Amino acid sequence: MSFLAPGFFLAALAVASGAIALHFLVIRQPPSAALPTTRFVPVARVHIVTVARRPEDLLLLLLRVLLVLLVGAAFARPVLAPRAGSVARVILADTSDAVADSGAVRDSVQRLAQSGDVVIDFGRLSTALVAGIRAGTRLRAAADSVEIVVVSPLASGTWDGSIAEIRRLWPGRIRLVEVAELEGAERPAGFLVAGPAEDPVALAALAAGIGTGDSSVRVLREAAGAGDTSWAESGGALVHWPASGAPEGWLPQVPADTAGAVVAAGTAVVFPFERRWRAGPAEGSVVARWVDGSPAAIERRVGRGCVRDVAVPVTARGDFILRPDFARLLETLTARCGMAASSSTALPDKVMLAGAGPLASRASLPVPEAVETPLVPWLLGAALLLALLELRLRRSSRERQEPAS
Amino acid sequence: MIAGLPAVLDEVRGLVWPARRKTRSALPGAHLAVTHANSAEFVEYRPYRQGDDPARIDWKLLGRTDRVYVRLSPERSVQATMLVVDASASMAFPADTLLKWTTAARLALGLAGLARHGGDPAGVVVAGGGGIRTVAPRTRRSVLDEIARALEPSPSGSPALAPLVETAMRHAARVVIVSDFLGDVDAQITAARRHGAAGREIHAVHVVAQEELEPPRGARLVSDPEQPDLRRPMPEAARREYLRRFGEWRAATARAWRGGGARYTMVVAGGEPLRQSIRRIAT
Repeated sequence: MSFLAPGFFLAALAVASGAIALHFLVIRQPPSAALPTTRFVPVARVHIVTVARRPEDLLLLLLRVLLVLLVGAAFARPVLAPRAGSVARVILADTSDAVADSGAVRDSVQRLAQSGDVVIDFGRLSTALVAGIRAGTRLRAAADSVEIVVVSPLASGTWDGSIAEIRRLWPGRIRLVEVAELEGAERPAGFLVAGPAEDPVALAALAAGIGTGDSSVRVLREAAGAGDTSWAESGGALVHWPASGAPEGWLPQVPADTAGAVVAAGTAVVFPFERRWRAGPAEGSVVARWVDGSPAAIERRVGRGCVRDVAVPVTARGDFILRPDFARLLETLTARCGMAASSSTALPDKVMLAGAGPLASRASLPVPEAVETPLVPWLLGAALLLALLELRLRRSSRERQEPAS
Repeated sequence: MIAGLPAVLDEVRGLVWPARRKTRSALPGAHLAVTHANSAEFVEYRPYRQGDDPARIDWKLLGRTDRVYVRLSPERSVQATMLVVDASASMAFPADTLLKWTTAARLALGLAGLARHGGDPAGVVVAGGGGIRTVAPRTRRSVLDEIARALEPSPSGSPALAPLVETAMRHAARVVIVSDFLGDVDAQITAARRHGAAGREIHAVHVVAQEELEPPRGARLVSDPEQPDLRRPMPEAARREYLRRFGEWRAATARAWRGGGARYTMVVAGGEPLRQSIRRIAT
């Protein structure tokens, strides 16, 4: 057991020591002596304080010492130390579309999980790692070591550039349990561009060698219709990227300004973009941001699919559409639902993710801000009972010591 | 314990114990009697009565006054002395030395020896928890040994002394009560008052221990050896009150004895030599 505030327990020890010392000072009647003329002594009560060799009322002393120590321990907020060698797990289970067999993930989780372990489902590994590290820190009090287990195909679609930074926050190694990946999940799905001929977006995809023709992602370069929304609701990813005009729900940027760059999933494209639209009040997850942090593309769930509104203007002038950074941006903005933050160019670094060395020990993990101390109510309850018992015992002890007159 | 008889008798050698009143005994002794005798010592004249010895007629006075008077001379007789000694538990104090008891016993033995040396019969009655031990007043030489043996046992119990005092006063002209008067002193004084008026010589010898006069300081719990349930704590304030109360009681007791016609003497156990104490009592 350890204490979060050991000073209180030390104070309780000092008080208990004082109580023990005081129990050696006994108040008793003075020694008796014969005096034939006792009848002339006035009636009175007297006690003297002497130092006893052994403390009297040992039971009362024990109660008082226990009471003080229990109160001190309660204020010191004890935390039970985990069993030496015990391991708690945080299991990150991939539930994204990159998983070929979700049942395999479930089976792996069931095989790995034990009582007290935490299971976190994720679609995005970086956010799962953050949640896992947070959960692992909370498990610090429950085990001697904490292990993070990732059950995932570790597809590139779930990977992004922030994972390396997040990985550095975890001091121990991570176990990787790979499951089968859905075919084609490594590469972003091809997309169909609906729009005018020689649309710069389509030309850019062609130039970058990004696959087209896949039916799960549709890039709409013109106004959306009811059919488009229905298609998205049936499970597709509709990327509404008007060549002109605002995406649905977006408002005019007044006055129109220039944004020097746009960032998405770790990819930054520096270009003097003319920013004509700003995001409306509709909710969604931000997929891309202008350099000043304002949203440049927002994905919102519709039915079983999603609609991704993109307000990044694409010009066919110059070689902008031929730039590799734009190709990466294009890849990100045309990813399947929920995978837009991934960067397909960030190849999964399994060695980096797994790490080396021992599991994260308790000592290496930071102390969480809020620590549960389930023992405190029990300690205070026991102290209350002892206090009542001490009161009763003290009364009976006092009655026994009443001098006979 | 009690010192040897010879040592006690040595202490009282040369002392006399004259009677304070004229005796009524018919036995010849050293004390002036209420009656008169025929002797050369002249005391007073009395008119001649029929039957007087003509040899006692003062002829010269007759020639001068024409009146017939006879010459009277004093009668001397013995005075039986009885010592009533308190052997109750309160006399066994302090417990380690029994100084009160040894003082009382030596006083009784010394006074008995003094009386016998003056030709007076001496006896003792010792009242203790083990019963009453009595030695009738006698003048023979062995009476002091008997008295010493009667004073041997240690004091105990709480016997009533007044009946013994009453009995002693009926059979002896001089009664000495040696006690700490923590018992039935009122009844003793009543008996003394009655018999003192009848001509008895009564001595009240009050034996007090130094520890009773000056109890040790410090918070203590004191208890009465004759009443074990009587326990009182004696811190300093109580000790001062105790000294006041005990002093007042001693003064009142002395006044009561003297008012009853007795001679009161207080003897502090171990406070002065035996000879000095007996001298204060006897003279």
